[in-house]
This record gives sequence, C-alpha cells and structure tokens, in this order.
Amino acid sequence: MQPEISQFLSGMKKAIEQVVIANLTDRFAQEQAGMIAGTLGFLQTVQDKAFHYELLENHLYKQLLSDAVAIVTRDATASKVTAEGVAAIRAHQEVDPAGSAVHLKPFRFLRGSNETMRELLATLIHAQDQFPAAVSTRFEALLRPFFKDLQIRERAWVKALGFDNLTDPVPDLDALLYRDGQLHLPGLGG
Amino acid sequence: MALDTRSQRLRANPTSDWIREVRERFPVESTLDEVMTRKLDNRRKGLEHLSDFTDLAERLTSYLRQHTGQADLSLTNLKRLSGGASKEQFTFDLTWKDASAQRVTRKLILRMDPSESVVETHRLREAQVLKAMVGQVPVPEVLWVDPDPHTLGHPFLIAVFLPGAVQPEGATKASGVGQMFPEKYRKALSGQFVDHMAAIHTLDWSKAPLSSFQKPKPGTNEGTRWALALWDRVWEEDTFEAHPVMAYAAGWLRRHMPVTGKPVVVHGDYRGGNFMFTPDLQINAILDWELAHLGDHHEDVSWATMTLTGARDDDGTLLSSGMIPRPQFLARYQERSGLKIDPQTLYYFDVFNAYKFAVITMATSLRAAYGKRTHLDAMMNLLTGLGYVCVATLQELLAQGPPK
Repeated sequence: MQPEISQFLSGMKKAIEQVVIANLTDRFAQEQAGMIAGTLGFLQTVQDKAFHYELLENHLYKQLLSDAVAIVTRDATASKVTAEGVAAIRAHQEVDPAGSAVHLKPFRFLRGSNETMRELLATLIHAQDQFPAAVSTRFEALLRPFFKDLQIRERAWVKALGFDNLTDPVPDLDALLYRDGQLHLPGLGG
Repeated sequence: MALDTRSQRLRANPTSDWIREVRERFPVESTLDEVMTRKLDNRRKGLEHLSDFTDLAERLTSYLRQHTGQADLSLTNLKRLSGGASKEQFTFDLTWKDASAQRVTRKLILRMDPSESVVETHRLREAQVLKAMVGQVPVPEVLWVDPDPHTLGHPFLIAVFLPGAVQPEGATKASGVGQMFPEKYRKALSGQFVDHMAAIHTLDWSKAPLSSFQKPKPGTNEGTRWALALWDRVWEEDTFEAHPVMAYAAGWLRRHMPVTGKPVVVHGDYRGGNFMFTPDLQINAILDWELAHLGDHHEDVSWATMTLTGARDDDGTLLSSGMIPRPQFLARYQERSGLKIDPQTLYYFDVFNAYKFAVITMATSLRAAYGKRTHLDAMMNLLTGLGYVCVATLQELLAQGPPK
C-alpha cells in the first residue's frame, strides 16, 4: 500500500524541520519540535524491523529459559520461589511453545510473550541468592553471554538516537538482524 | 489474548493493596515516600498533565499576596523556560517590598512539578538543602516553597533567577548530559567544578536545617540502603517490563553495600548542565538539588566522573562531565575535601549510578510519557536511547568486576 510508512515519516520530518521549526519563535516550542523531528528520524530507522527484532528476542528468551530451567531443576532442594518460577516458565511455554508458528501471531502477542519471558527470567535472577553454589555458578555462566548479546542488541536498536558514547562499536540494526538477506535466528540457521 | 503480566497491570492501575505492598518492600525516607505514594495515587486517577497556564499568573499573584501580606505587589512577564528535564520552569518579574522593606523588582524563577516527573522529588527538601548551602557554594536564593499540590495544581518552589549559561555556546545535548566543554571553558571551569563538590561534601550538616531529610548513622550503610531502596522502588513502580540485567544488578547492589564512615550531603545529580556560569566563566550557581540526600561522598564523585555523564575529546579520552579526566578530578577532589576515594567503593557507586540512571531513563521517563503526565512527553520517550546505554554500561561494569 502507498505511501510507504517511511515516506510518511520523511515527509513529516521535512515539514517539521524546514517549515515548523523555522517559523516558531518560542524557544520551548522549538525545542519540542526538534525532538519530534528526532523521533521521526528514529522511527524511519526502526519501523520496518520491529517485528523481526521481537521475533529474534522471542527465540533467544525461549532458548535461555529452557536452559535455565534445566539448570535449576537439577537441584532437588529448590526454594519455594524457584519452584514457583519454574512452574510459571513451564506454564508460559504452553502458551508460546518453542518452535511454534509465533511469526504468524499478531505483533501484540509477540511483544506480550517477550515481556512475560523477561519477567520470568528476572524472577529466577531474584531467586539466585537461594540457589546452591554449584547451581548458581552454572546459572551465572548461562547469563553472562546472554547479557553481553542483549546489550549489543539493545544498543543497536537505539543507535539512531545518538546517545551512545561507549567505545566498542555497535552494529547497525540491519547487520544485527539479517544474514544473507534474511532474519538470523541463532541455532536455527537462516 | 492479553499477555500483560500481573505486575504490568498493577503498575498501570495501582491498587491500594499493591501500593501498600511496594511501600513495605522498599522503605524510603518519609518525605520521598510521600511524593512517590502521591504519584501512584495520581496515576490511579489517570489524568493527563495539561500545559495550560492561562490562569497561572493570577494564581501565583494571589499566592504571593497572601504569603507576603502585600496587596500591592505586582507580577509581570511570566514566561516558560526551555531546557530542563524534570520540572516546568517559568520566569517572572515581581515588584514587592523585600525583607529590608525596600520596594524592589526582581526576576524570579518558578519550578513546578509536572503530574509525573522523570524524577519524583520533594520541593521542601530541595528548598532546605538550598538554604543549607548558602555560604558554602553558590546557590539560587529560595524565597518561597509550597510542597502542597493544591495552590498552583502542583508543588512548587520560587527562587531568585540568576543570569548565566548552563552549557557552552552551541551545545546540543539534552539537559547537558554528555556535553563536551570547549578548551577555554574546561580550563576555567573544571577546577571550580571539583572544588564546589568538595565544599558540598565538607558541610557540617548536623547544624543545618534539614528536617525533611533522614539522617544516616556514621559507620553504617544506612544512607546507601535508603538510596538504593528508592531506586529499587522507582523501578518497581515505573518500569513497563522487567529487564534481566537490572534484576541482576539490583541483587548485586544489595549484597555489596559499603559502609560509609562519615555521611555527607550528596547532591545527587552533580554534572555538566547542572551548574551555571557567568560570561567571565565563574560558576555562579550549583543547580538541580532535588535528588540531594545524606549519604556516601563516592556517590557524587562517581556520578560526576562516570562514562555516562562524560564526553570524549578528539583523542577518545573520556572527560568527566565533559571537562576533566577522572584521575585529575579524583586527585583534586581528595586534596580539597580531605575525603579519601576508595577504588572499591567508587566501583560500587559506578554500578549504583548506572543502575539509577537506567531506572530514570528507561522506566520513569517512559512511564511518565505513556500516561501523558509531563510537559516533555516527546523528550521522555527519546531518553530510552540513553536508558539502554545505561544498561549496557551496567552490564560491562558487572562483567569486569571490582578493581583488584
């Protein structure tokens, strides 16, 4: 359908920058209009990648939670909080199972499932103090590389907003998401 | 099918049971508890913040006449200020009889809370700490404060307006975070910047009128415990979604709280953008005291010198608050304040501050914008970009571990 979203956004951005800001006299209003232009520029960068970004997150959180459950359930003396956390993860795995056709679901379902998985992981992290030492070490080893990948992914998403002053380079969102012209889901190829 | 979690629903529509539970789980100073609980009550009412100030001049005039007993005072030139990330600010000229009974006209500044702010703070605390700092460091003179939201629709503070700049000419950074100061500014301002922090931390606050502040005992971690509970509570109340790095960091911070030998007044947001300077490059005011509390001096030192509030020069060297390399800052600070910097404690507060900054920029800013609760909704959404950089910094710090 026409016009494409990117064209709508670029038209609005140009109008704000070249017409609206140029004719505003109030400094507060100019500042706000500048932020609207900046937001439109950011939306141009991410608008066609949001679904695939969430699909990648969905895939990675499912993998991590599955691995985390395998680690913490080796401990027969799991605390009540841990046991409840594991039960909640398993219940969610029924709602949005690994390998399901989640790419056919509406975006809202995908976002909601990812938000739920983030909260389930946070619950396990909060319970980490109660893990036996060996379980805690294995859990920690699982989290470290996940955290590293997560921060790179998130920085790539917001790169266009221009706040990043860290020294290590951040890939563009395209480079992060796609390999050989299609979405790359680690462990699945493609 | 709605997949919103229970926590998400409660944050969006807080029940009184949930508010009580959050207050119990995260015990904070009583004045802060007051403003945070009011925020949740307001959120429950679901009202948008309106930036309609058609009757502000009349209401302000009425307040001032009542509080001065001067029916003939006059208020003119009420104007909204740009800049700032938390409060709505206005300037106006007031003609009245001042404390010396002289009829004077002075330009004043009104700082007023929006319905929800990027930081939820108490105007009485801000006024008290500003008064405590008179003679210690340059600060704006506070004339009136009203923490009650009924007079003007929101709590407010009125102070004398000081002329000057908060950022160098051509500055581009929102609220001054990460702004680089050109060399002539750095040469003139960086030493003053360090010295004023040293002066803040050497104030004997036991004699200061800080009744709205809770006083931590020396040789304990009370100040840090209260400060951490504050940011844990803000995250719990405001975030839209859980974040595993934030969950991990919260646990680490609780397990590693350092003992503070001698608590000091912590400014809470001491950095470039939060001081004002004159054309001859003299700092004439330290601003934005709303996050001030009593705690550990490393908290301010870390905040002013951390990567997130710094800027890199052409060689890639990180300059603290865009002005001075961290080692130079630390050396001068220790010399001027007589307070030691412990590398392990500084590391703790680097983690603490990255966590705090992430809470502000990723949770509260988005929450306030979502509810259309501020005058800066567009900016609040953009701040998420900084929020994810804060989380990345947090992750890197935790992965590195403390200095050996």
